[in-house]
Amino acid sequence: MAGEQDYYKLLGVPRDATQEQIRRAYREAALRLHPDRNVRPGETELFVGVNRAYEVLNDPARRGEYDKELRAAEAETAEKSGFRCSVLHSRKALLQLDEPQVHYLLFDVTPAPGFKVIRPPVNLCIVVDRSTSMRGQRLDQVRSAAQAVLDQLDASDHAAIIAFSDRAEVVVAPDQAKDRSVSRARLSLLQAGGGTAIAQGLETGLTQLRQSFQRDGVNHLLLLTDGRTYGDEAACLEMADRSVTDGITISGIGIGSDWNDRFLDDLTSRTGGAAIFLDTPRAVTALLQKTFDDLGRVFANRVRLEGAFAPQVDVRSAFRLHPDPTPLSDALPLVLGHLGRDDSIRLLLELVIHAIGPIHELPLASLKVAGDLLGQAPDNPPLAIEIRCPVTGEPEHEPPPPEILATLNLVSLYRMQEKARHEAELGQASLAARRLENLATHLLASGERELAKAALGEAERLVHTRHLSTEGEKRLKYGTRALLLPSKSGAP
Amino acid sequence: MIECPTCKHQEFVGTLYCGECGTRLVHGASVPTMEVSRGHVEPGEGTVTKPGAQEGPELESGAILGLRVVSTGTVLSLIGRENYTLGRLVPTQAVIPDVDLSPFRAHEHGVSRMHAEIRLDYNGVHVIDLESANGTHINGQRLEPQVLTPVRHGDIIQLGSLSLQLISRYRV
Repeated sequence: MAGEQDYYKLLGVPRDATQEQIRRAYREAALRLHPDRNVRPGETELFVGVNRAYEVLNDPARRGEYDKELRAAEAETAEKSGFRCSVLHSRKALLQLDEPQVHYLLFDVTPAPGFKVIRPPVNLCIVVDRSTSMRGQRLDQVRSAAQAVLDQLDASDHAAIIAFSDRAEVVVAPDQAKDRSVSRARLSLLQAGGGTAIAQGLETGLTQLRQSFQRDGVNHLLLLTDGRTYGDEAACLEMADRSVTDGITISGIGIGSDWNDRFLDDLTSRTGGAAIFLDTPRAVTALLQKTFDDLGRVFANRVRLEGAFAPQVDVRSAFRLHPDPTPLSDALPLVLGHLGRDDSIRLLLELVIHAIGPIHELPLASLKVAGDLLGQAPDNPPLAIEIRCPVTGEPEHEPPPPEILATLNLVSLYRMQEKARHEAELGQASLAARRLENLATHLLASGERELAKAALGEAERLVHTRHLSTEGEKRLKYGTRALLLPSKSGAP
Repeated sequence: MIECPTCKHQEFVGTLYCGECGTRLVHGASVPTMEVSRGHVEPGEGTVTKPGAQEGPELESGAILGLRVVSTGTVLSLIGRENYTLGRLVPTQAVIPDVDLSPFRAHEHGVSRMHAEIRLDYNGVHVIDLESANGTHINGQRLEPQVLTPVRHGDIIQLGSLSLQLISRYRV
């Protein structure tokens, strides 16, 4: 059974197709693929396949037999996969409609049960911005936070600390990391001064990670910065893309208000990581500790959602809700990053589905959850997910699942903030101010007083200065994202 | 396409939140709005007592509109917008009215989650009933759903059986 094609897919009919549907699909396919009229390479094989499929499916007895085998084979493959995935739809059925409609899908990817629990070796590189603005408390905090992480390294772990300003240098090399007196002495040499050339820091950091690469572990780069890099953004993004293929994730911590949040979001999210905003450097220690702990709990890395959507389906937006809420690119494959061992990856997709005719069911997508399980036997196929949705002519009045509503409500607050910022940048200050006031009302209603106050403050600022403050922008962006964290939204 | 009841923005069918103003576009299942007996909402309950000429000193500074909850005397200032939805926040639900009346036992009073809207424009202040289960009354007169009805300072707006008095410094 394994390796053989799905006869239903071959004929392009649903699993519950009537015999008549199957006959029609076969006739069509046979006409199209018949060797007499078609000589393109590969199509003869397809014709043979279609014939075999029809032979089986056209005979109810043989079809029943085949269905059983097919389900068993699929269950077996799904069983072997290291992932489980549940998909929740915003509606039970789509509408027959000659205009586009929106449909939401909520994915929960979790580790499959029955795998041995291991702590993967961690290969971590902390890349620290030591530009002039980091002087004082910022760098002091980073130094002690980094030391705290180095003190906890396991025998199989690797760590390095890189500092950069206009150029980058290795402050603590992997072979110095586990010797406390050496690493302490090396870290004390870390002094502020100079500009912020992130590409320099990234390149040196990634080189270190590759030298001590852990095939069966997590390889992670943590970038700490408080400033903007100029002119080398494209080079940074290119490096990030390369690191994805190598299985290296990048996350970022932005301190204060002067760093480029959009750039850091883009840089980190394309590797499956995320950027985090800290308004005070005091939180660095806790955040670094959490990053290190999470890395030690990774079950699978390079987790991604692959496959294809049906031609009449467009992905309008993709948002990872957990861990680290982050908007993702809307093109497959979606890079999802690490899956923790007792954790999940939660993903919200917003689909636009174009005109649907009089059919009973629409296949939406044929997807796969793939990733590398750490320290497990290598035979772990990706998890295939077929997503289909019934179609009706009558709108139904059943309410959408509460999880989807609650999540979307919070995502819509995040979007409002994005929109206001966009409008402010276009010079539409009063429009942006109104939107922020509206956002504040929604935030107040959700009990988010501090954030609501920040939104109102920025709205007022817009009226007076026509601009948002760089700090307010970040506070609102990361503040509305943080609403999606489990402690607030009740998500797992 | 469907239209957002708050801002009239057009969205595709199936959209759950307005992309423009964040208003929830469908109603989910939750506690249905309580039925209140007709007797409570018929006119002549004696609630139509106009306040004196005083123009709400209880309003927050800067506010030109407010609502006094008749049963408790609490004044809710309405600041910063041109329209306010009145309703009842349900913790598990993402329907968020601008003015949440749940502290005033709105549920028992038969207030819907999205009950009515107060809208301000250059013609004055208006109330619109958002197809609430138990209806909206102005000074005892029941409103047609989705129809703008002008209101003035001192008018009693009744949502289900919850009475609110409009405080307005708004001059047309």
